[in-house]
Amino acid sequence: MERVCARDAAAFEALYDAYHRLVYGLALRVLSDPSAAEDVTQAVFLKVWDSPTLFRGGNFGAWIARVARNRAFDVLRSRAAHGEEEFPDSIPVDDALEETAIAHLDGDRVRDALARLPPEQREPIELGFFGGVTHQEIARRFGLPLGTVKTRIRTGLRRLKNALEGAVTV
Amino acid sequence: MISHDEMLNGVAAYALGVLPPHEAADVVKHLRNCEACRQEYRAMQSAVTAVAYSAESCADATMGAAVVSPLLKARVMKHVRESAARAARPRVWPAYALAAACLALAIVTGMLDLSLNDRLNRERAQVTEQEQTIADFMAPDAHRRPFAGGEVLMHGQRLYLAMPHMPMPPPGKVYQAWTLAKGAKTVTPSKTFMPSGKGMTIVPLPEAATTLAAVAVSVEPEGGSQLPTTKPIAMVTL
Repeated sequence: MERVCARDAAAFEALYDAYHRLVYGLALRVLSDPSAAEDVTQAVFLKVWDSPTLFRGGNFGAWIARVARNRAFDVLRSRAAHGEEEFPDSIPVDDALEETAIAHLDGDRVRDALARLPPEQREPIELGFFGGVTHQEIARRFGLPLGTVKTRIRTGLRRLKNALEGAVTV
Repeated sequence: MISHDEMLNGVAAYALGVLPPHEAADVVKHLRNCEACRQEYRAMQSAVTAVAYSAESCADATMGAAVVSPLLKARVMKHVRESAARAARPRVWPAYALAAACLALAIVTGMLDLSLNDRLNRERAQVTEQEQTIADFMAPDAHRRPFAGGEVLMHGQRLYLAMPHMPMPPPGKVYQAWTLAKGAKTVTPSKTFMPSGKGMTIVPLPEAATTLAAVAVSVEPEGGSQLPTTKPIAMVTL
């Protein structure tokens, strides 16, 4: 990223090559619209180029996934509000960037680990992350108490992390 | 009073991004003071990143999987290469250029109706302000943060937006600057302004540069807004 900050187009191209499938796939999963997902992908990478200092260190994949998800939900909200858009919540705040302990993630490996979660843990996680709904909405859709939903989310995330790290699952 | 275990469940929901704002604020407040929950948050963040990767598209179109069009990369890289080429050109801030331009320099000062005396006083103040502005832009220790369409310049506590070739906003609209104070989570409205119409638009912002984390500009209705109503045209981290 230092080279991108120094306006190095080749360094940016390497970033694009490494992360565009993550950004596009995430946007496509949220929007279910290939054309809109491409628009989001373009917007996210141009934002990285135009404002590289928004990234303040840590795991770049985690950060750009967050930016892509926020951008995709901006598109959903703007569709719902007929063009009224909220101020992007990707302005960095002190607690917004965290180093991830999981290295070398790839889609196939994660999909496999996610598929091995019990459905009662996997489904709330996927609905919350890709559906952009609150835990109350998840509880309503599954007919579960709020506390149960939060417990299942936490247990599922912990189990997923352990599986990807090769540890014994909880 | 919720138990610590319930708070840990809340931390997981926060990491996944499914808490409504008021509950998220409670978790953030707790995280500031609880190392155990911060560790849990980092662990949950890792898992949430993994969930994001589960959507990663395939490298090829086998099995009918969605793939990213190579034309997309071509569009992105065209913008990037053109932008990099512009950045590689010599800066247009040499002393002689600024000195020649200062007569035409229009410092945007907001939109106030002024009496004649006010105008005279204001003109004197503007001269002083222009001299200060030129000194700030010439200062070797000034810090610049470029963005598409201009740059933010900081010198000491003083802060400026500088934008060449800024188009006029649509009728009934103005540009409005926004600032994000360090540690703040919401932006604060700053100055409204119109382009100078003389090439370079320079907007001195009243906020102290060292107190801010970011500056943004959006198009707003005349009179400005309390919160942005449109996507910012510029957003710069300081």
